[in-house]
Amino acid sequence: MSATAETLDRLIKQDYKPGFVTELETDTLPPGLNEDVIRAISKKKNEPEFMLEWRLSAYRHWLTMMEPHWAFVEYAPVDYQAISYYSAPKTTDHPKSLDEVDPKLLETYNKLGIPLYEQEKLAGVAVDAVFDSVSVATTFKDKLAQAGVIFCSMSEAIEKHPDLVRQYLGSVVPAGDNFFAALNSAVFSDGSFVYIPKGVRCPMELSTYFRINAAKTGQFERTLIVADEGSYVSYLEGCTAPMRDENQLHAAVVELVALEGAQIKYSTVQNWYPGDEEGRGGIYNFVTKRGDCRGARSKISWTQVETGSAITWKYPSCILRGDDSVGEFYSVAVTNHRQQADTGTKMIHIGKNTKSTIISKGISAGRAQNSYRGLVKILKSAENARNYTQCDSLLIGDRCGAHTFPYIEVKQPSAQVEHEATTSKISEDQLFFCQQRGLSAEDAVSMIVNGFCKQVFKELPMEFAVEAQALLGISLEGSVG
Amino acid sequence: MSALSHSLYVDSYREPATNEPAWLSRLRRQALARFEASGFPSPRDEEWRYTHVAPIERKLFTAATGSADTDAAEALIESCRIADAWSLVFVDGMFVPELSERHGLPAGVTLESLASLLALSEADGNAAWLESGLERETESDRHGFLDFNTAFFTDGAVLRLEEGVALEKPVQLFFVSTRNDGRATLRNLIRIGRNAEARVVETHVGPPETGYLGTVVNQIEVADNGGLNHYKLQLDGGRAYHFGGSYARVARDGRFGHHLLSLGGLLVRNEVHARLGHAAQTEMNGVFLSENRQHVDNHIRVDHDEPHGSSRVSYRGILEDRSRGVFQGRIVVHADAQKTDAEMNNRNLLLSDDAEIDTKPQLEIHADDVKCAHGVTIGQLDPDSVFYLESRGIDAATAREMLTFAFAAEIVERFGPLRERLRGLLLARFPNAQ
Repeated sequence: MSATAETLDRLIKQDYKPGFVTELETDTLPPGLNEDVIRAISKKKNEPEFMLEWRLSAYRHWLTMMEPHWAFVEYAPVDYQAISYYSAPKTTDHPKSLDEVDPKLLETYNKLGIPLYEQEKLAGVAVDAVFDSVSVATTFKDKLAQAGVIFCSMSEAIEKHPDLVRQYLGSVVPAGDNFFAALNSAVFSDGSFVYIPKGVRCPMELSTYFRINAAKTGQFERTLIVADEGSYVSYLEGCTAPMRDENQLHAAVVELVALEGAQIKYSTVQNWYPGDEEGRGGIYNFVTKRGDCRGARSKISWTQVETGSAITWKYPSCILRGDDSVGEFYSVAVTNHRQQADTGTKMIHIGKNTKSTIISKGISAGRAQNSYRGLVKILKSAENARNYTQCDSLLIGDRCGAHTFPYIEVKQPSAQVEHEATTSKISEDQLFFCQQRGLSAEDAVSMIVNGFCKQVFKELPMEFAVEAQALLGISLEGSVG
Repeated sequence: MSALSHSLYVDSYREPATNEPAWLSRLRRQALARFEASGFPSPRDEEWRYTHVAPIERKLFTAATGSADTDAAEALIESCRIADAWSLVFVDGMFVPELSERHGLPAGVTLESLASLLALSEADGNAAWLESGLERETESDRHGFLDFNTAFFTDGAVLRLEEGVALEKPVQLFFVSTRNDGRATLRNLIRIGRNAEARVVETHVGPPETGYLGTVVNQIEVADNGGLNHYKLQLDGGRAYHFGGSYARVARDGRFGHHLLSLGGLLVRNEVHARLGHAAQTEMNGVFLSENRQHVDNHIRVDHDEPHGSSRVSYRGILEDRSRGVFQGRIVVHADAQKTDAEMNNRNLLLSDDAEIDTKPQLEIHADDVKCAHGVTIGQLDPDSVFYLESRGIDAATAREMLTFAFAAEIVERFGPLRERLRGLLLARFPNAQ
């Protein structure tokens, strides 16, 4: 038994590898938030008047709001005046090709295992790299353009496709939706924009890589994906940040719009810096993600692997408006040391015959707290709606917590809703079985944990599935016992 | 506007009768101050998310003065009396000894009205435990109704079993309301000694067309290896407002069963909390039926404080017409409570287009060597089962009634020794299912 304990210990105590800092000259606004800061951000980005107005109204609304505290997490208060709301590497404004991108930046992405060049040549995944507040490079633009797909940074989209942005921005997550979404609407600096035209199946996976680098800044990116009728897109998102003792705020908004018959698959591997063993530092990840199945037979699928961040507050949701639309949520959330995660989903059934599936796997180790919080709401109009929810928690160590807070609200008698949840630890029997077949305790645990998460991992695109499994091993290093 | 309307109640507060002990007046004043500050709970409070109690605030339900209308009460009592049981009867918040039955109680049992015990001198020997019992914090989430109850309770039942006493017959507590716009505020203390055992049937009943407010709080203590089966029959009239809360502490190896049949009332909140010691067990079974515009909120919390405890919660709801049902259950396994075995289950039948169910089963777990699960289903009657019965010559309406009754009766089957009698009460709601 003690041998296993040691193995677990070793497993938990692995380092955070993307924790380095890149030395770069940056163009950073001084800390603080007021209308002038927002005007400055808007001006830096050459935004049209309507964007500035939108930001300002979001800001004014934000001032009237209170920071929410209902989540099962505890953290030191955020001083919104101590954060710098804009930080960008000082380089050529709009690199025409990768050759113009600051080599230091490319090196950073190489170190992170996202070689933009190679990715361009070999992997066949189009990447938009967001560094602190701005997008530094987007690969594969030409090839995508041939298919009619627009994949660019949000700033570029506002400049080049203002009509699309105006039509869809804030249509899923309104500017005043919640405290953090309002803050994001006021100050968001960049992010990715995707538009897939009617009937187009996006020829490759799209990917955005977010990197927080500068100290004392917040990252507020905004992603908008619009899939027009009958189109399909698979989108991946990854994130890392340097190791620092202070906490940094990340308040992103992601909006997905799926029109009739369209499908969006959105996968996230979130690996922001989680803080050290004692809970010093780490990212506050307060994110609003929502998809709107606006048309009939549309489908939105969220898959997330959450291993990073000191505090996670994230509920990727689906509004199932179109008849026969489908929403899916697959999640693995791993917390270790003193990490706290309060994550889950919302499935709002409005259209007839709408279906949703929620599979959530929480793993809690060390002194971490891991909560699933989900809402399934079936409105009166949602005849024959169907929901299946399964949330399982695995506890590793006797000082962590795993919690389940489902909310189920049903107003339609023909709906069928099922919810199941279990909580347990890795059973001695399972471990023993693996060990007597010659597996080391460490391998046995990692095998059992991977098996526990398999239902979710199989939803991830290939490259991500490999990364996710590796990450899971790292996050739990030292926790098995 | 409604923000301050609870002050109507605050203003109606009168210093209690002079024969109340000083410590109780102090408790009441403290509770009143808290109630004045916070009022009744609002839906902004997470634990009250689905229940609006504004109608209670909008009007002032008044406490009875003078003597109770025992004639009207008698008929109501007889409609739901359990044969062969000891009983205490409270009408409109006042104890009615004439209607109560206490003959032949064995030694070591106290079954008395709270007010009369409080009026006795300090030398009586009950003062100390009454004080500690009433002073005890009502557990994890204190809210406006508890403070309201402490400030305003007029009476209540006290049941105390000394070590090793096992009551053969059940004790039925009647809480009858007869006055329109009246209120009854009661506090019951139940204390089960070591190795003692009892069954208590808490019964709420009132006339169908009378609007009244009943708030009844039970403080329950079960000592080592004691056992209590607590039944709650909520049979209030269709215009009644009811808040009922049971707060139990169960010591080592103790057993606490809570069995709820919630059939009446317009706006109902049934709260039950249990705090479990080493290897203590609890079983909570509930059936709630609602129709017309009824709103029934069932709120459960189980705290596993120590190792080896077990809890089983199963509630079923049947919702018709424009009614709304709520199930909020929370199992908390604290860090020391290894080897806990907890299960919570809530199943609901939604039988009308306008009915609604909101359910929130929660697990909060801070220990790793545990077995915890919860499940929820919401659906309709199985059309195949209806068809099967129809194919045997039973008309569709009867078939549906039979299946609905069977759905609820499955829970009543777990009610232990009183299940036969209680099934009869349930069956009265499904005349065709016989």
